[in-house]
Amino acid sequence: MLEVKNITFSYNTQETLGNITFDAAPGEILAIVGANGAGKTTLLRLLACLLMQDSGNTLIDGVDSLTRPIAYRAKIGYLSERCPLYDEMTVEEYLTYRLRLKGERQFRVRRRLDEVITQCRLDDHRKTMIRLLSFGFRKRVGMAEALTAHPPVLLLDDPLAGLDLPQRKQTAEVLTSVSGRSAIILAGHEISFLLEWCTRFLVLHRGRLVGSYRVNDYEKDLLQHKIEQQMIHGREEGHQL
Amino acid sequence: MSALQVTWLREVRTFRRSFTGTLPIALFLAVVGWTFVMSLRKSDGGVLQLQTIWGVSVSPWIPVLCSVLTMRLFAEERATGMIDLLLVIPMRERTLVFGKFLSALTMTVFAVSLSSLLPLVIVPWLSPSLKSALHPTAFAMTGIILLLQSSLWCAVGTMVSVFFRNQTMAAVVSILLCGGIPLAFYAVILVWLPELRLNATWMPLITNVYDFSTGLVSTYAIAFYLVMTGLSLFICSKTLALLRLRS
Repeated sequence: MLEVKNITFSYNTQETLGNITFDAAPGEILAIVGANGAGKTTLLRLLACLLMQDSGNTLIDGVDSLTRPIAYRAKIGYLSERCPLYDEMTVEEYLTYRLRLKGERQFRVRRRLDEVITQCRLDDHRKTMIRLLSFGFRKRVGMAEALTAHPPVLLLDDPLAGLDLPQRKQTAEVLTSVSGRSAIILAGHEISFLLEWCTRFLVLHRGRLVGSYRVNDYEKDLLQHKIEQQMIHGREEGHQL
Repeated sequence: MSALQVTWLREVRTFRRSFTGTLPIALFLAVVGWTFVMSLRKSDGGVLQLQTIWGVSVSPWIPVLCSVLTMRLFAEERATGMIDLLLVIPMRERTLVFGKFLSALTMTVFAVSLSSLLPLVIVPWLSPSLKSALHPTAFAMTGIILLLQSSLWCAVGTMVSVFFRNQTMAAVVSILLCGGIPLAFYAVILVWLPELRLNATWMPLITNVYDFSTGLVSTYAIAFYLVMTGLSLFICSKTLALLRLRS
């Protein structure tokens, strides 16, 4: 279970995120939405220990990111917005390398690798050099990498960006299938598509959390309208946490 | 397999597969070969022993080789954004730094070892008196000082690489730091502070090669190299940790 308590973060003197509080449990797919510059990526980078908050705490299963960073990082899978990969490796080599780097035991590496390759539908590209992959497949490799170690929390920065509709649907299927064991937190813009399979929405506006909605509590059209209004105007509507 | 081994193995494979690993080593060997032959011709009839000639032919080129080998270690990761994915891994920054440093050191030691074939090849043609003057221990001591120098320059190169996204800039700064600053410092002392000259005889670090190859082993020099290597790696891992504070 991920708990985020009163997180504040500033670049130099400008406050980028202020007093963010929420939680997420396995089974939830939580979408963080907001206009460009609202602080979505910064929030995900904070949760991934790539930035350090000015105040507040982030805990996964009671493990604090500040006091036990290595144990905390063992519990997250992260997909960056740019989805960088080692171009000179094959898909299989890259995933094996990342699994070993994460400290996975030798006898489990092959099993996890087969599992994640099947899950992300990369079977036909196991031996393909990463530099030869299209952007959509690179994203899948990045996603597979984030999923490899069965982390309790998955942090995905704009996993749908640059994907066509079939690939988006496949990504949604994969994430829905793993949501039973992981809390998934993702940043994105495509509200109408995210409404189809995400369970909760957090709306960020200029670094503030202005809304939190459970999808099941609303009509989809109404919810989409509310979220879009909040993204633009930052008005506080819905259930504030 | 530990994270350190995995990092080391990945980097060594990348060096082997890429031009940034093989080409600098090939050029290094060519330049060292040329320097060795020129030094042999210059010292014909002199008092320098074979291992000393080898050592002083190799030593000035090690900073250049190390700078080129280490330039991509972190600069490339930062440019591509891969550094984020490395920092998310549950391991200490020093493990990552040490793994990358060891891979560059491995390649440098490989290149220096290959260059040791140069003196070995000409041994059969030496006069009997010169042959009898050769000692494996002296060769080993020359090898040790070259290893110490290699580790220092690799550590400095790795440290510099963390500060840059551009590999070429990292290599240039690294060469300046490794080769230029010690020589410039020594030149300043010779010109403006000649009374301090005796305190800075170690400064152009090639002096250490002369000393070690002739049996003048100094624990001070060994300590200097080890401490500076450790300090460079420490700065490197702390800088990496600081990237988390303000990316």
